[in-house]
Amino acid sequence: MRSLSLSSRLALLFAACTAVVSLSAGVLFSRASEAHFVELDQQLLDGKLMGLRRALHDIQSSDSQIRLADELSRQADLSLRITGSDGQRWYDNSAQLPDRLPQKPGLSTLNDAGSDYRVLNAPLFVDRPDSPQLTLLLDITHHQHFLQRMQHLIWLTVGLSALATALLGAWAARSGLRPLRRMSAVASGVSAQSLNARLPEENMPPELAEMAHSFNAMLGRLDDSFQRLSAFSADIAHELRTPLSNLLTHTQVTLTRPRPIEDYREALHSNLEELQWMAQLVNDMLYLAKADHGLLTPKREPLELAVETDLLLEFFAPLAEDARVTLRREGHARFEGDRSMLRRALSNLLDNALRFTPAEGEVRVRIVDQVKGLSLTVENSGDGIDGALMPRLFDRFYRADPARQESSSEHAGLGLAITQSIIRAHGGRIRCESENGWSRFVIELPRT
Amino acid sequence: MKLLIVEDQPKTGHYLRQGLNEAGFNAELVADGCTGQQLALSGEYALLILDVMLPGRDGWQILQAVRGAGLDTPVLFLTARDAVEDRVHGLELGADDYLVKPFAFSELLARVRSLLRRGNTSPQETSLQLADLRLDLIRRRVERNGQRIDLTAKDFALLEMLLRRQGEVLPKSLIASQVWDMNFDSDTNVIEVAIRRLRLKIDDEFPNKLIHTVRGMGYVLEERSA
Repeated sequence: MRSLSLSSRLALLFAACTAVVSLSAGVLFSRASEAHFVELDQQLLDGKLMGLRRALHDIQSSDSQIRLADELSRQADLSLRITGSDGQRWYDNSAQLPDRLPQKPGLSTLNDAGSDYRVLNAPLFVDRPDSPQLTLLLDITHHQHFLQRMQHLIWLTVGLSALATALLGAWAARSGLRPLRRMSAVASGVSAQSLNARLPEENMPPELAEMAHSFNAMLGRLDDSFQRLSAFSADIAHELRTPLSNLLTHTQVTLTRPRPIEDYREALHSNLEELQWMAQLVNDMLYLAKADHGLLTPKREPLELAVETDLLLEFFAPLAEDARVTLRREGHARFEGDRSMLRRALSNLLDNALRFTPAEGEVRVRIVDQVKGLSLTVENSGDGIDGALMPRLFDRFYRADPARQESSSEHAGLGLAITQSIIRAHGGRIRCESENGWSRFVIELPRT
Repeated sequence: MKLLIVEDQPKTGHYLRQGLNEAGFNAELVADGCTGQQLALSGEYALLILDVMLPGRDGWQILQAVRGAGLDTPVLFLTARDAVEDRVHGLELGADDYLVKPFAFSELLARVRSLLRRGNTSPQETSLQLADLRLDLIRRRVERNGQRIDLTAKDFALLEMLLRRQGEVLPKSLIASQVWDMNFDSDTNVIEVAIRRLRLKIDDEFPNKLIHTVRGMGYVLEERSA
């Protein structure tokens, strides 16, 4: 079932609220007026009863007839029946009185042949058990008509006011929800080509401003990711194009005429290098794609970071000695993470640091154990990092060293991106900074 | 030594068989899972190389059948899917090793040799030797032509690995994994530098070079008659 529109829903709710409010007010009012009439009738009938008792206390005396008539004549809509203790009807002052009257003592209401009566039953002599019964009847038909009219009026008011609020509510809801429609119009216009559309946040009502802000932020993130993804695909194509064209050209040229066997061997070797480079690139990209899809789930094994770092420094020792760079490690901490992933992340940073450290320089790994987490800093002496380059350092295929731009056989520019993915998969962050000629990559890992 | 390759991609299968045969093995190739399983169950192979995705029965089903029949033939998986679950699944079922495509043939060859060597370790050796190069495992000493050569612990481990697997082309990734326990893809040239430094000590002063670079594949320790 299709759900109702928000405006219709609101309008119906408004109408229901109004109906409930006016209905209860009406019911309350008609109850109160009815109770008021009953009270008035009671007072009147009580007064009459007293007069009649007085008039009838000596039923034998001759003037009692006159006094009775006199008592009754003063109230035109009042009728009287006197019943004996044996149920025998003694007296009716009017011919139109209904046959059957309520027998219970006290006040009650009777409806007979289109007329309404308030009926009061009481013994004539209060102190005699076999006293005849007095039944006083007060015609209240006009009161009841008034009450009925009142009830009709109440129903009419309820209906009309509900209808009116429904219509007004629908209008109010529609105009109140106009910013939402504007939002949906913008949202429906968004496509991969127009991710730069934004909602105007300034003239939004406060309730929606936050949503508009989130919406815009979402569009911003989408736009950013999409830009990166487009750039990434373009970069992949570009990165693969160079080795592919080398392979094509080299193979074709080699095959154009017969050559000594050595030339073929050389051609195959050269092709092999290109192919290995491409295979490495594809593997790295698959790794990053996995990270992007949240499929990079690190194992959680207890690690002594100082030990891991020392092993890596030992691994890099030949390279460092060759470049006459000192490797050092300070501090230690425990961390639960994936050994081989973290080694890979750290090895990329060390490799990177060694690449940019001049001879006689130093590469330092500092581990700081803090309460909330731990930080691992890889820093190297040298020229520092150009501030303008920093935001792009972790981008895929970004190479800081322009000399290595074109397909240097070993380095595809994915190392830092992979390191970042690994650190993020561990719930950590990585950033870079530069200070007094030191380039610094700071990894922050949360306590597990 | 008879190996069985079950691989449905004709080109891959063909080159694998050729490469393994030329490396001195007797490799057979089948392209579908059902035939592969029948042959594997015959028990006459020293090693199975299985692709995961196969027509008929997939690599895992073959592995299960083989293990179910009580055969402990080493199994090397080739998979194009680099998903962790795949590896875990394969290893849980009793696979001995796996390689993710694309892989280098030298890597495959090295793994195949490792798997075949597993289980039949030669009696405790006290020294390793090639030509006039001698490595004393007990006293941790290296001599060449009677001349003592000083090596660092890692140089020693590297040379030991090269000597134990002399004649085999060892890819850089395998060296990093065996000598430094670094089991990750890395584009660093640490191994090149380490080999160069080892050469400096072992080979440079001698006319008969023993450490050779096989371009694009790795390094090999062998005596090549000039």
